[in-house]
Amino acid sequence: MSVHQAPASSRVWPDSAGSLLRRFLLTPEAPALVFLVALVTFFEISTGRFLTPDNVEGVLAQVAVLGIVALGVNQVVLSGEIDISVGSMLGLCCVAAGYVATASGGIVLPLLAAVAMGAVAGGINGVLVAWGRVPAIIVTLGGLYGLRGLILIWTGGTWITGVPRESRVLGVGSTFGILNPVLVLLLLLVVMTVVNRHTGWGRNVFAVGGNRKAARLAGLPINRTRFLTFLLVGLFVGIAATVFLGRAGTVQSNTGAGLELQVVASVVIGGTSIAGGRGSSLAAVTGAVLIGVILNGMILMRVPGIWQNVVLGGLILLAVSTDSLRRRILGGRS
Amino acid sequence: MIGTFDIRRLKVPQPTRERVLLLVLIGMIIVFSIFSPAFLSLANVLNTSRFFVEVGLIALGMTLIIITGGIDLSVGAAVGFVTIVVGFSYAAGVPMPLAILLGIIAGVALGGFNSFFITVMNLHPLVVTLGTLALFRGLALVISDADAVSDFPPWFDYFGQYYLGPVPGQLFVFIAAVVGVWLILSRTSFGRYVYAIGNNEEAARFSGVPIRRVKVALYSGIGLLVGIAALIYMSRVSTARADSGIGLELDVIAAVVLGGASIYGGSGTITGTVLGVLIIAALRNGLVLAGVSGTWYPFLLGTLLIGATFINEFFRKREE
Amino acid sequence: MTPDAIDPRVKQAAGDEALETSHEAAPIFALHVVTKRFGGIVAVDEVDFDLEPGEVHALVGENGAGKSTLMKIVVGLYAPDEGSVEVDGEKIGFSSPRDAESAGIYIIPQELDLFPELTVAENLYVGRHRPRSRWGGIDWGEMQSEARRRLESLGVNIDVSKTVKELSVANRQIVLIARALMGEARAVVMDEPTSSLTDREVGRLFEIIADLKSRGVGIVYISHRLGEVFAISDRITVMRDGQHIETAPAADLTPDDLIRHMVGRELKDLFSRTHSEIGEPALELRGLTRAGEFADIDLIVRHGEVVGIAGLIGAGRTELAQAVFGIRSIDRGEVLVDGKRRSIGSPRRAMNAGIFYVPEERQSQGLILEHSSLHNISLSVLAGLTRMGFVRRGVEKKTAEGHAENLTIRGAPLSAPVSRLSGGNQQKVVLAKLLAVEPSILLLDEPTRGVDVGAKKEIFRLVDELAGAHKAIVLISSELEEVLSMSDRIVVMREGRFVGEFTAGEATQENVMAAATGVEVKFDTVSSGGAA
Repeated sequence: MSVHQAPASSRVWPDSAGSLLRRFLLTPEAPALVFLVALVTFFEISTGRFLTPDNVEGVLAQVAVLGIVALGVNQVVLSGEIDISVGSMLGLCCVAAGYVATASGGIVLPLLAAVAMGAVAGGINGVLVAWGRVPAIIVTLGGLYGLRGLILIWTGGTWITGVPRESRVLGVGSTFGILNPVLVLLLLLVVMTVVNRHTGWGRNVFAVGGNRKAARLAGLPINRTRFLTFLLVGLFVGIAATVFLGRAGTVQSNTGAGLELQVVASVVIGGTSIAGGRGSSLAAVTGAVLIGVILNGMILMRVPGIWQNVVLGGLILLAVSTDSLRRRILGGRS
Repeated sequence: MIGTFDIRRLKVPQPTRERVLLLVLIGMIIVFSIFSPAFLSLANVLNTSRFFVEVGLIALGMTLIIITGGIDLSVGAAVGFVTIVVGFSYAAGVPMPLAILLGIIAGVALGGFNSFFITVMNLHPLVVTLGTLALFRGLALVISDADAVSDFPPWFDYFGQYYLGPVPGQLFVFIAAVVGVWLILSRTSFGRYVYAIGNNEEAARFSGVPIRRVKVALYSGIGLLVGIAALIYMSRVSTARADSGIGLELDVIAAVVLGGASIYGGSGTITGTVLGVLIIAALRNGLVLAGVSGTWYPFLLGTLLIGATFINEFFRKREE
Repeated sequence: MTPDAIDPRVKQAAGDEALETSHEAAPIFALHVVTKRFGGIVAVDEVDFDLEPGEVHALVGENGAGKSTLMKIVVGLYAPDEGSVEVDGEKIGFSSPRDAESAGIYIIPQELDLFPELTVAENLYVGRHRPRSRWGGIDWGEMQSEARRRLESLGVNIDVSKTVKELSVANRQIVLIARALMGEARAVVMDEPTSSLTDREVGRLFEIIADLKSRGVGIVYISHRLGEVFAISDRITVMRDGQHIETAPAADLTPDDLIRHMVGRELKDLFSRTHSEIGEPALELRGLTRAGEFADIDLIVRHGEVVGIAGLIGAGRTELAQAVFGIRSIDRGEVLVDGKRRSIGSPRRAMNAGIFYVPEERQSQGLILEHSSLHNISLSVLAGLTRMGFVRRGVEKKTAEGHAENLTIRGAPLSAPVSRLSGGNQQKVVLAKLLAVEPSILLLDEPTRGVDVGAKKEIFRLVDELAGAHKAIVLISSELEEVLSMSDRIVVMREGRFVGEFTAGEATQENVMAAATGVEVKFDTVSSGGAA
């Protein structure tokens, strides 16, 4: 009699390998992972040298900085916001780390300087968005240019060179036979996966991004949750800056320019929804690796570097369009 | 002014806001002319106007977009793209007038491209124009192969460097655009639709407002303004480069927000935006004349953008 | 939904429990002489209500009777203007639903607000202390088994690791109930819980309710489905026009009684229609269907005719009207205007076909509050008031003033923001907007909701005039008096279908309400709608 019908999905799925596969395919990171596997397979077949441990490590090291920042920005996007100031933030943290490194050497102090700088920048972003009621796009757009300006003022346009070897350890050293950047990336990936899965804040980020109204009614500390995502970005950018400093050895006034685009592309291509509430840390890193592999592949195929932006922009549009279609099809009429 | 401007007059902050902006502008002018007497010379004022016309033209279009609650981050990249289209078609042998036309068409096409994703795919303008920001810049780089074109016919300088008496030609273009957009926003049905969509898109839909058509017009329209601005820029510097217009979106959005438009939509005026553009231009010029290094400008502008938005929203909430 | 569809054993069990527990301690909560006003309108008028532990107390009434408002006062969403709320015998005022929740009083609203991308288990724990493992992280295993346990104790088998978006509406409701019960619930208010459920799912819900009862939980069951009400409740309270009409054990009442209480007001002759000539069909709907909202709708509305569509919340009337106006899409069926088939894909196309819709939600759909009354009135016809795109202000002003005068809009000048006007005057602005469009087919959705009596009369007068001017009018209203006074014909809609049709002469409050609620009772055609 009723016009409303209950869909078949209310039946419990049987426990079988087939359904396990289906469960996997429905996770946010699955499409990107599958695509990555396909791409890697393609490169392995065409070059025969892609899947050597050295090469894999090399690729991962190259995307380490991108991956670390993407892990941070992933949290912001999960909560339903955006942060496009990370490129300038990275530059600023590199400057801080660079000056401390050239002044006092060692690794601990530069790392602390970078992380502190990032925490301050990220913290200010967070305060303005969470309590200042300034939309994230405005705050981070202002930050994108403002922080870059700050770099210019601070350095006076001069480069920072002569960073001592010991301060570059996060970028060029290796531990237990693994390149340090890769180690840092993997470590942070594990940390974020645990945080997202096992902390109250981690779960609240998903709730706030998924349905802010219900989150408010459920009494979640929405402002604090959002603030912490921006703070986290600052911390991760600081860490990434130390890795970057290690790998590059110098800091220029345009260090980090354009990173925000790669980061946003990584996050959305990896499978985190730009609308918030859906995604994972693995998605962010997969996306970063994908971007890295694609950009790397372009170089190998002699595609001029100027195509990078086109590819990035196109990928962003493709990823959000697909996400929107997915939501429309699966959302349907409830 | 004749007639009733109900919307504007009754938005309590608006008149006060414009008076405040005017005061700020006057204050800045006073301060800067103390620092450098050259600031208030006619030559300097007219010279400055050359810079701000480009920002101002695009800001006019951006005002309408922001009133509807949208945003367009790709305008800077679009300027670069248009300069490349014009420059490189000319270099390829296309007659200059045709090349100029192609540039304008390119600007509109880019806007149309944006509007497709925003209206048909129903994506948020923020994310779409973030993607096209990269796409347009990248395409410009690809087409130009990171090269530049500087060889233009002498009459092309007419656009950016011609003076009608002591007054730069661009100023007339800008004034004409200001009057035109002002008329559209405050006197036409289209302008009413823009405010309606910004204040309550759902009620606008129920009232039969052609929302999709309006948005396509807005994003394509700003493309037209981008085209004109790009031409003016190009002729002023006599070069076509893919990296023209980097950071332009910051100036444009800052001007609009400074002018009183709420980033959430529903309010904003051309007068406010124009004052915002003037203040930013005065700031930039004043700093240069006062001997402050140009490196301060992005930092100040970024801070200004955030500060202006904060003040906007802070006072808006207070009223509710 | 007839009483027979419910398993009689459940009914029996529920009844037994009620007898055992009904004479215990103080009521869980009690409302004394509670009054609540919104603007000039009294939503709740000196109402008493209480809930005993372990009882199912049904709250019944037409749309707008005040049932939801009353319950919102209990859980702290509203504060009463007069009267008191007692919990466990003590006067308490909750300031928010979370307050009420800590006292064990939960409300399950009509709109299900869950987190679609999170799993069932997680939805139960959002905002609550999550179980932790020894090393400090969230113990998902424990969370899932606890969630499974709670669902099983409700007699339900849902895979707790699935995301909520994969669940059916019925299952989502169960999750919402389970979520409410995560704390120690002592009272649960269910607002129209079965409007989207199949019979089988309703049966399952009843088993859950019976189980809650046996644990001493009190349940307020707000519903218009009288069959269910009789199947499940121990006591029934009827409200009408914000007033408390009757509270009695379910066993002492019949569906007849309920309907009489629900509608039994003095049928003051609200308005007498002037006779208008009814002409050719203006609007014809054939087999109109939209999945999940309405199905197989056939309707003919003629020029000069007022067709009233009666029905309860969720019947699908607004969805139907919005589909005819082009706001929603149609899956199947045809719309004909003056005999010609029209494809109506958008409000603009509908307006071109001569159709206009006055929305149910005045403030969010009907008006742009920040704009002036003048601008609101002209918005839909702006295109016709321009010359080369420029609005002809003088013409606009005259046109709008003309329509406004016809409706006597008072309270603020036309150039002031429409937010300054009272509800009644705001509605007149919406109607002036309608008049400006000059449609031939009018779809009016709750046109007098939230409007004072004086303005109501003026709106009725307007509708009468419009009918006299050969307009075809569809009047959707939940106020029976209105529908009865104004319509030439009444169609009743229930759960997406038309289930009854009456001419003005045949229709009475009782038979219309009976059709709307689906109770099959015979009414003595001689008996009137007088109060019992």
